[in-house]
Amino acid sequence: MQSALLIVPPVLPLVFGVYFLFARKMRAWVAGAGLVLSFLAAVSLTLVGDAVQPLFSVALNVTFIFKSDAAGRLFAVLFSGMFLTAGFFSLGYFKHHPNPAKFFAFYFFSLFALLSLCMAGSLVTMYLCFETLTLCSFPMVLFDRSKEAVAAAIKYMLYSITGAMMGLFGVIYLTLHTGSATFIAGGSLEQAVAEGQPALFLIAFFICMIGFGTKAGIFPMHGWLPTAHPIAPSPASAVLSGVVVKAGVLCIFRVIYFAVGPAAIRGTWAQTALLVLSLLTVLIGSAQALRQKHIKRRLAYSTVSQISYILFGLFMLEDLAVQGALLHTVFHAVMKTCLFLCAGSVMVYGGTADVDEMRGIGRRMPVTMWCFAFAGVGLVGIPPLSGFLSKWVLAQGAVQSGMQVFSWLGPVILLVSALLTAGYIAPVVLSAFFPGGGKAQAETLAAKEAPAVMLWPLIALAGLTLLFGLYAVPLRNLIQSIVQTLL
Amino acid sequence: MLLIAFALPLLGSALVFTWGRKGPKIRRWISFLFTLATSVFVCLALIMQPDKHYLLLEFTSRMTIAFSLDGMGSVFAGLIAFLWPLAMLYAFEYMEHEGGENAFFGQYLLCYTITLLVAASENLFTLYFFFEALTLATVFLVAHGFSRASMYAARKYLYYLLGAVSLGFLSMIGVLSYSDTTTFVYGGIAALAEAPHTMMLLLFVLGFFGFGVKAAVFPLHGWLPTASVAPTPVTSLLHAVAVVNAGVFSVARLAYYIYGPQLISGTWAQTLCLSMASFTILFASAKAIHEQHLKRRLAYSTISNLSYMLFGLMLLTPFGFRAGLMHMIFHSLIKLTLFSCAGAIMIRTGRVYVQQLRGLYRQMPIVSVVFAFCAVELVGIPPFIIFQSKWALITAGFQSGHLVGVLGVGVLLISAACTAAYLLKPAVTALALPLEDAKPKKNDPGWQMLVPFFVLVTAMLLLAFANKPLIDYLTQIAQI
Repeated sequence: MQSALLIVPPVLPLVFGVYFLFARKMRAWVAGAGLVLSFLAAVSLTLVGDAVQPLFSVALNVTFIFKSDAAGRLFAVLFSGMFLTAGFFSLGYFKHHPNPAKFFAFYFFSLFALLSLCMAGSLVTMYLCFETLTLCSFPMVLFDRSKEAVAAAIKYMLYSITGAMMGLFGVIYLTLHTGSATFIAGGSLEQAVAEGQPALFLIAFFICMIGFGTKAGIFPMHGWLPTAHPIAPSPASAVLSGVVVKAGVLCIFRVIYFAVGPAAIRGTWAQTALLVLSLLTVLIGSAQALRQKHIKRRLAYSTVSQISYILFGLFMLEDLAVQGALLHTVFHAVMKTCLFLCAGSVMVYGGTADVDEMRGIGRRMPVTMWCFAFAGVGLVGIPPLSGFLSKWVLAQGAVQSGMQVFSWLGPVILLVSALLTAGYIAPVVLSAFFPGGGKAQAETLAAKEAPAVMLWPLIALAGLTLLFGLYAVPLRNLIQSIVQTLL
Repeated sequence: MLLIAFALPLLGSALVFTWGRKGPKIRRWISFLFTLATSVFVCLALIMQPDKHYLLLEFTSRMTIAFSLDGMGSVFAGLIAFLWPLAMLYAFEYMEHEGGENAFFGQYLLCYTITLLVAASENLFTLYFFFEALTLATVFLVAHGFSRASMYAARKYLYYLLGAVSLGFLSMIGVLSYSDTTTFVYGGIAALAEAPHTMMLLLFVLGFFGFGVKAAVFPLHGWLPTASVAPTPVTSLLHAVAVVNAGVFSVARLAYYIYGPQLISGTWAQTLCLSMASFTILFASAKAIHEQHLKRRLAYSTISNLSYMLFGLMLLTPFGFRAGLMHMIFHSLIKLTLFSCAGAIMIRTGRVYVQQLRGLYRQMPIVSVVFAFCAVELVGIPPFIIFQSKWALITAGFQSGHLVGVLGVGVLLISAACTAAYLLKPAVTALALPLEDAKPKKNDPGWQMLVPFFVLVTAMLLLAFANKPLIDYLTQIAQI
């Protein structure tokens, strides 16, 4: 009976989404209530504990099933928490918009898909949620219906569906060859396949990783991300970049550690290829971010790079590296959501999206830019902010793994990328507060601080960045206990 | 019972030709009542008298015209019986815009009989006979209106279908010369197993392409996109369901009921046919993305989906057989609906190109939502029906262990991504984009078109979640 409660967290946002889809008028308090309720529902999952709830089955014994475990709950709380803060921000952001109800409809639908993904208990359920997520989240990108927005949204959709189809290749292969119908910590691959490692298995696994990695923007499937994320309304870019990409991370995490099992792929060409790709993506993303003038495009490329830190950690198949990856998942979600929300507030109330025109803007919008600075510095990985901790654990894991080449190449590339990150974040922060000689650029802009409803989410997120950096013991313990069962 | 079902549309057709000129009302009543009555009788025959055998004509002891409804025949006949009344109802409103209704409805009813005869054929000779008849009965529907484009399409149609089917004729003669009978037996005719092996494989490949022309297998696919100039009820029912499925059906008959999977499995013939089907899937999906005319785009999509079925069938395992049949049923429902949407859009707003779909939602909300829903289904988003048949096809591909089978799985998935590009993209432009015209007026079609949409969508949803009896039935046919 208790297991039926698993349906509640996904269904709540679904109900609110349907309400907003048909609502003629925007009602802010309904949206607020929906966000809070969804968050509380996700948190209350921790009280229910581990449970399994079959949903329905279709032809040929394809059963869709929800299963709640510690990893799923961690992601669920994270996702709904980010949606909560970005949602409150968007209440302010869309205040003057004639009819933002449709935006909130798809905002809630996306949360529905994400929470279902967290609860997904089998590969095919996960695939269903992945596709649903694509279809629910791309309308957020085309919200202003300009030509570019539509093109970007369709690009996002086609990339994601292509990725999902690649994922399906692996999903079906693995469904045929795993012993358990649901996810099991450590995987349940058939003995013969796990030991024999037939070529088809590795190919299917590799294609599957690239497929789900599409959502996480892994090279060469990253092209949609810098196009789609900047063009969406800022709250949407924040959750797309901070949360929706983590759906790809979650899928990869599930496939490797809950279906295949790390032992079956350790040391194979597939692992090597994936590690190379993820490191390549780290570099490409950072280097591209340096070249961007548009603040949101810069942040989008930064996402490409940072998510591949996480993927690198997951592909290392090593205790500490996976812990670092999960930590970075949480921290990056907080920081990137904060950065995008700040960027949104600068674009609306500062009147510019060009990083060169933001000189001196820190004087006009001190709170926003302070939050930006906190999250940005955290992203670079400077202690005591949280980004440092996750990168430290990640690098430590890479060194400890003892894998040839990667045990030193990984940390080196992470360090180089951190320098590049400093290169694309620091100038924005510095010139915002210290415009240097001459008249500050921002004087000419009609910049003013954003209203309180938009500031509090920023402050909360920036505070979390600092808090996690100073005191992350409970989180680390939780992640440690999750990872221990996997390896 | 079955014979009554055969006779009814013929009678109706004759009545339409004689009395139809008196006015649209009487013509419609005759057409619809006879179609509905036929479907009822087909259902009765399926339920009450399965496997009843009718011998109609006996030329020689080997060449007989005989009918019976076995499992696979029932599936095809049932599908046709379900869809024909809906398409008929849709056609009433549509044909007002095309004209020439009398001839149209007369021939439309005639095709119903012939398709049923194909479904109920008991042996290869009968199948071949009515396979040809179906071509001849439909060619005037393609030529409907006798404009230059339709005449060109009709000529091409005849050349392709009559020309290629001669290969099927060779195959049939080959079977006749090595075996005493051409009656369908699941697993193949025993006598053929002892005949010269290479000869048999050659004959099978000839038959595959000869009968596969109706299933538009590459390089014999050219007629299908051209034939989309025909009135939409023809493209939707005949060229997405009846005629093309007759092609798939005949290939299945050849592979599983004449030559037998054991004979062909693992040979070059299987590899060739599988590769051809896989190539057609890729080729047609790519062409569909490139094509800007909505109906032609859908026609290319049909070509690719027909090859999904051929791919499933040519895996030559019971699982592949079942998956092929599943896809045949599910695809028929969806493609009929999609074509009907395209037709409704065409007559109501005059839009025929994909780019023109912009902002359609403001004008035709119901049709655009149905179109988008079908697009999502055809891409294969779970848990809807195409996902299920695709799942079945892919599992069968993996399980077959055949190299081309596994490669074909990849092809199916690439094609699914292409489907998103050629169908979801227009659906999104139709739904999400604003219209230039500030105050468009609502222009959804009348009830005669909306009822079929409603029934079809309901059927799709019902099949998605409660298809266990159907799947069990298919499992039984495939003898898994």
